[in-house]
Amino acid sequence: MKQGCRYGTHRVLEPKGTLPQPAQKLDNTMELYDNEMLISVKTLNIDSASFTQIKTACNGDTDRMAKMITDIVAERGKMQNPVTGSGGMLIGTVKAIGPSFPAAGVKIGDTIATLVSLSLTPLKIHKIISVNPKNDQVDVEAEAILFESGIFAVLPNDIPEKLALAALDVAGAPAQVDRLVKEGDTVCIIGGGGKSGVLCCYQAMQNATRTGKVIVVEYSEENARRISEMKLADHVIIADATNVMDVYNKVTAITGPRGCDVVINNVNVPNTEMTSILITKGNGCVYFFSMATSFTKAALGAEGVGKDINLIVGNGYAKGHADLTLSIIRESEDIRNLFNKLYV
Amino acid sequence: MKKGNKYGTHRVIEPKGVLPQPANKIDNNMDEIYDNEILIDVQTLNIDSASFTDIEARANGDHKRIAEIMMEIVEKQGKHRNPWTGSGGMLLGTVEKIGDALAGKIDLKVGDKIATLVSLSLTPLRIDKIKEIRADVDQVDIDGKAILFESGIYAKIPTDIPAKLALSALDVAGAPAQTAKLVKPGDTVLIIGAGGKSGMLCCYEAKRRAGVTGKVIGLCHSQKSADRLIDLGFCDHVFTADATQPVPVLEKMEELTGGQMADVTINNVNINDTEMTSILCTKDTGVVYFFSMATSFTKAALGAEGVGSDVTMIVGNGYTKGHAAITLEILRESEKLRKVFTELYA
Repeated sequence: MKQGCRYGTHRVLEPKGTLPQPAQKLDNTMELYDNEMLISVKTLNIDSASFTQIKTACNGDTDRMAKMITDIVAERGKMQNPVTGSGGMLIGTVKAIGPSFPAAGVKIGDTIATLVSLSLTPLKIHKIISVNPKNDQVDVEAEAILFESGIFAVLPNDIPEKLALAALDVAGAPAQVDRLVKEGDTVCIIGGGGKSGVLCCYQAMQNATRTGKVIVVEYSEENARRISEMKLADHVIIADATNVMDVYNKVTAITGPRGCDVVINNVNVPNTEMTSILITKGNGCVYFFSMATSFTKAALGAEGVGKDINLIVGNGYAKGHADLTLSIIRESEDIRNLFNKLYV
Repeated sequence: MKKGNKYGTHRVIEPKGVLPQPANKIDNNMDEIYDNEILIDVQTLNIDSASFTDIEARANGDHKRIAEIMMEIVEKQGKHRNPWTGSGGMLLGTVEKIGDALAGKIDLKVGDKIATLVSLSLTPLRIDKIKEIRADVDQVDIDGKAILFESGIYAKIPTDIPAKLALSALDVAGAPAQTAKLVKPGDTVLIIGAGGKSGMLCCYEAKRRAGVTGKVIGLCHSQKSADRLIDLGFCDHVFTADATQPVPVLEKMEELTGGQMADVTINNVNINDTEMTSILCTKDTGVVYFFSMATSFTKAALGAEGVGSDVTMIVGNGYTKGHAAITLEILRESEKLRKVFTELYA
């Protein structure tokens, strides 16, 4: 068996020297290297930006969409939309495991979801069974390769597949909250009503305990009411997170002038960096999960107001993140019901 | 005296409700100060290098025209925020007046010479006269006044270091101070862009913190800066590479660390596409500190997830407590570095 690179560079065909994600073309021959896992793919969960682009380009015609997806994979050896650059994830069963693949907790025949992007996963489609325009899913007969560095989750028997997938999609967020928030902390979650926000609130309430305080800033009244009803926060503020002074005044009315120990930013709109910075205590930390975060606005913003705080770039991966997220779904009936209603 | 807001929102004219930095116009009336402000008699503006290069190009290098453009910016906005680059700079001056709410509570007195360490893009400024433009170091001597808000940071200029040398080092004071906080004895530290101004300060501080059991590795782009860094003697290893190419840099790091990689990686290099290199060269329990303003947030966030790395990634904060003191101390301690800085930047 041939030896592979931890990050899969042995599969990069062009341009040479790059990693699988920025590569134009990957080798998708399904002959296993020693540190890879072979997956028999059942469903592709296409990234929503990518799926929308394909749908629009094909006028919603599912046959044409199937052809376009097949063509992309034939051309690139991976399902990376050439326009949006994005991928998605997949569900399948384990078909073979190379001897050097770190396979603790997984065996042949297990159903898994990959948690790395399809934009870097070698894929070979044999047949497209159906394209479902409602939930961005494509059922296929296909094979895929997971590299040694690739992350995945074994899907549990006790949680429906689609519910598990919806939660795993944002698994990094509650796992990072679990690391950051300590007993007695004052925590503010900006954009607490969305999918990852709800999971963050739950974990923050668990960690901060009754001696701490969890504050949610939410734009939508409906989301705010839901957080209150589910008792996922001690205080819920309805405000526009881009309005710095309004949020600052409302949060410090609760916390006092020093602000919060930990601020989690989950809101996918631009210009919320200063709001996050101003409501954080000196020596505290802001965790930016929002992909709309501007690096320079955060960096220069903190310096401009003389705040000695840690600004952290949200990492979608943390060890044990899938287990933690699935256990929230098991523990909280409210969240399970909500996710079933909204995302399944 | 009128009471002011800690962050200076009382000086914002338009649009209302924003902070001084994003504001289009702020009040630069210096006849009367608020109770939590410091009035500075300004001697020198140190224009941000992106901003100065831009103004110089617009003026075709003509000093008279540079002066006009600068006067127009300040007249229109009440501060020196370059409307095309959005950036500011810092200033050197003497304390002229201290508001009642601050007097006696801070370590400043009237007559102290200080450098402001917050951006000119949020500092109320009035220019009465432009006296001299020193294009080679982006400095402009003026007659004028400026206001420092309560949240504004500053450093007292020491008597034992020339003002211009101090100013050029203080410009990047955040980097070595954050290095001091992050690096622990025995750590392996990689500094990307190690031959530049902040890179050299970081290498010195990293070696001091990592100690004899630690290892400091400097990555430089040019052989010239690598040679200079080797002469300074702060690093255990120095190598040249293109930081935008992750695979060759990764292989070199594997060789230098026996496959262990870095506990702390500090990225100081102001070019695009160095996020993956930083992530891959760091242990998955380690920390990457991005000082580079060319860092893309999404490339860092999605990059780490894509390779399954549990690394902690931090946005470089130009301010940390004591940063000016740490940086000036380095210039006192290392005669070699002081010499290099005097030659290159003062």
